[in-house]
Amino acid sequence: MNADQRRWKEGRVRCSASRSSFNYLRASAFICGLTLLLGCQSSKVEKEGRRGVQDYLAGNYSGAANKLTPLAQQTDENYVLNNLRLGSAALAAYDLNTAEAAFLKAWEVINAGGVNSGARSVAAVWIDEKLKIWKGEPYERALASFDLGLVYLMRNDFNNARAAFENALFKLRDYASDKDEKKDYTEQESTFVLAHVLLGRCWQRLGREDLARGTFDTVTKLRPDLAPLADYDRQAGTNVLLVVEYGYGPRKREDFDNGTTMAFAPTPQTAGQIPPVRVLVDGRPYPLAGTDRPTIDTIAMAQDRRWQSIDTIRVTKSVIGTGLIAGGAGYGLYRLNEGRMRAEDAAIVGGLVAVGALLRASSNADLRQWEMAPRTVFLLPLTLPPGTHDVTVDFPAVGVGQSWRGLVVPQYGDVTYYFRMNRWVPGPFVWPPNSPAASPGGFVSADALK
Amino acid sequence: MAVRIAPIASVLALLTIVGCASAIKNGQSTALTGVDLVSMTDDMAGKIGSDAAVNAAAANGPLKIVVLPVVNELRAEIIPAGQANAFTGRVRVLMAKHAPDRFVWCMNRDAFYDLQRRELDLGIDPGPSPDRVQPEYALTATFSSLTDETRKRRDTFYVCAFQLTNLKSSAVLWAGSYEVKKEAVKGFLD
Repeated sequence: MNADQRRWKEGRVRCSASRSSFNYLRASAFICGLTLLLGCQSSKVEKEGRRGVQDYLAGNYSGAANKLTPLAQQTDENYVLNNLRLGSAALAAYDLNTAEAAFLKAWEVINAGGVNSGARSVAAVWIDEKLKIWKGEPYERALASFDLGLVYLMRNDFNNARAAFENALFKLRDYASDKDEKKDYTEQESTFVLAHVLLGRCWQRLGREDLARGTFDTVTKLRPDLAPLADYDRQAGTNVLLVVEYGYGPRKREDFDNGTTMAFAPTPQTAGQIPPVRVLVDGRPYPLAGTDRPTIDTIAMAQDRRWQSIDTIRVTKSVIGTGLIAGGAGYGLYRLNEGRMRAEDAAIVGGLVAVGALLRASSNADLRQWEMAPRTVFLLPLTLPPGTHDVTVDFPAVGVGQSWRGLVVPQYGDVTYYFRMNRWVPGPFVWPPNSPAASPGGFVSADALK
Repeated sequence: MAVRIAPIASVLALLTIVGCASAIKNGQSTALTGVDLVSMTDDMAGKIGSDAAVNAAAANGPLKIVVLPVVNELRAEIIPAGQANAFTGRVRVLMAKHAPDRFVWCMNRDAFYDLQRRELDLGIDPGPSPDRVQPEYALTATFSSLTDETRKRRDTFYVCAFQLTNLKSSAVLWAGSYEVKKEAVKGFLD
């Protein structure tokens, strides 16, 4: 081979290496562009979802429902989440048909198995955990079932309400350890006696005294402080049930190594105590006689979350990613120091750093959550004469309350009313609530009727 | 070149699969489905139509039957109002189609007006108004189940019992049941 041929061959190799680098760059740019496009689209939808949540938190329930309705129809990875959000907004606006439909859609996917199997699992692990179909933490699943049961309870459909409360208790079994499931089931169910109480009330209304007594006994055994609420005779003698949701559940936040793992905040220690509740009927305090205890604390329940295997995968990915970045940088420095940095070396360095960065970027924790979930639920059974009554539920210690005028108590049977405590929605409102198109919150303010 | 295209193609294929996979198409559910509705009601209608006691009673004139919605005694499974009417409503539709001379069907008032509202969605004719017919028999259905759920799976065994009862004497003219077991295995990220 003569000198010209050698120069020509070296030139071709250099040219081929730079073409190869160019191809890599082009392919990477294409993938990044595609990912960005997908990301932009999903972030637009996520923004709209967040706006719906903000409306809900501000007490504009009908506005929240309007924003969330189109999102809840998309069968994407946020299908369950958006239906739960819509269900909450519709329930607070007393649009029970929409609430039932939304909670039922979420229920079907939450109860199904293998929803995230196949490509979704692979994508969630290797690309972004947010690609998995969100089904919520066990306490969120239990609350979803509970809210669906509440819709049926408000319609006096006791059989479906009972079934939903039973399902709520099943959902907490996901907390249980594999080693001692039976024992753990009881432990987990003790944190959600809320469902037990209403299950007992349903059995009572269905004429199953034996099952009602058994269920109320379970409540007393699990939570002795709730004995007045689980008293069979008291429950039988009441004709009005106020279901009061107070506060908000814990927030998910990034924790450890740049958001690789997830934690809940605040903790029960930092959140403070749940304030005591007071009920006024026709302007006079109603004697709650020990039934005013909070039934759950989702902030405490969230701390029970098991360390999921995907957390470990994220940590591993983050560590490998950091290693690749460091390795790539080290290799580049080494070649530069030696003065032998070639196009292939640059491609190797770039590749290692890019793969490392991608691994780290895709190891972020999934922070999606059902923002409307309450911190606690009060179940307040009342005995009121048939007719209409003005009812106020308030928390004097924190200055939060809500009033309704003209709540109807029927001549026969039961009635259940739902109060979603919100600083911005104090009322007073007039029963029956109008269509969701009415004033903020979907209700008619008593002041507006003056 | 083929080596370079392969990873890009894999990523694109994965993104496409992820993009297309619907939250409601993947996975197994333990709930009763439209397939169960069809096979169960076909089975029940066939058994009622061929039952000797039912045919003997219908020999004296068509049986006037009120159709009641399903009673939900399932453990941790819901039957929404529309479905509760559809399970017994379809039996009525099948019987009315195959043996119109032996049965006169009517629904209870609540179910009739509910089904009338949902007629377009379900595609089921609600039949004559309950105010026009005085029923002699009631077709009832009670769905029960044994359900259990662990971290790994959910199992439900359904027993769906149908009865044709004489409203005056409370005697059961016909009874039949449909049984089905469903299982949903939870995956890695469920």
